[in-house]
Amino acid sequence: MESEKKTLVIIPAFNEEGSIRRVIEAVKVTLPQCAILVVNDGSTDQTSEEAKRASAVVLDLPINLGIGGAVQVGYQYACQKGYHIAIQVDGDGQHDPKEISKLIEVLERGEADMVIGSRFIGESRYKGSGMRRIGISILAQAISIMTGQKVTDPTSGFRASNRKAIQLFAHNYPQDYPEPEVLVLLSRCGLKMREVPATVYQREYGESSITKIRAIYYMTKVLLAIFVTSVRRKPKGGGIGG
Amino acid sequence: MLIKTQIIVGALSIILLLFTLEMIRKGRLREEYAILWLFTGTAVLVFSLWPEFFLSKFFSKVTGIFYLSTIVLICFFFLLLIVLHFSVVISKLTGQNKDLAQRHALLELEFKEFKKNRLSLDKPSE
Repeated sequence: MESEKKTLVIIPAFNEEGSIRRVIEAVKVTLPQCAILVVNDGSTDQTSEEAKRASAVVLDLPINLGIGGAVQVGYQYACQKGYHIAIQVDGDGQHDPKEISKLIEVLERGEADMVIGSRFIGESRYKGSGMRRIGISILAQAISIMTGQKVTDPTSGFRASNRKAIQLFAHNYPQDYPEPEVLVLLSRCGLKMREVPATVYQREYGESSITKIRAIYYMTKVLLAIFVTSVRRKPKGGGIGG
Repeated sequence: MLIKTQIIVGALSIILLLFTLEMIRKGRLREEYAILWLFTGTAVLVFSLWPEFFLSKFFSKVTGIFYLSTIVLICFFFLLLIVLHFSVVISKLTGQNKDLAQRHALLELEFKEFKKNRLSLDKPSE
């Protein structure tokens, strides 16, 4: 156990009482040696209680911060407690915990500082709506050009990070729609990113945080945000991220 | 015609001033904004009392402003600057609010774990 690296699974959850318990249990079965942290982003339902019943560590945010602030506090916890690897899994049961080990393998080989589970490479073909696919591919193109690295699934919330990336995220993490921006931030800070194939299931309960009406606003905002991130001063390690 | 405008603008500026004073009295306005709004209210009141000044040749010569609408434009930019300033302040507050919420959540968890450990330590001695 001493030689094994300390691993934390971060599950951000906002009103996921229907699925959170199953997600936690699935992670526990596949990775019994991992600690599980559920970040309850100011839910109004029983998410926190359900997660505690499944004996996960629960961080209760007093107000709803959105996915960026929720995930960041998870990385801050990982940073504080000295975890070597942090895995980010969505609280709605979209990701298969069996695939976490694939992500960790790449990290442990030292090939990247952050590994992303992509639904668009490998044999696992994601069948999303046409509009969404087009949107994601535009984002992927833009980020690929900006970072000089091929990215296929910038919106994936299925990620594994090493200590270096955890420390960066604890101090500096984008808000609102953070997933694509993080990739630009990483390349700005000289950290490496890799994608591995991953399966994404349809949502079991609740609603996706991106509704169709918001899609255009989302695209505009994210494109602007990744552009801003790429021209902003290079973030320093210390201090409080804002 | 001008006298009507004077009365309306004058009354509005007095209402603005009274409202500002009331807010200060209740402690709902921070000093920096209180000064800003007191200054704005006083300025509007002065304008309404001596509108001739803005129509005088002296004023036009000094400032190069010949039309009253230009003053409206200047006021508009003044308000625009205030709104921009508020956006900056709100952005900063949102960031600080986020930091506080995160710190709060981390400390609460730490505290709960600490309390649990203390309780399990205390039990055998009781």
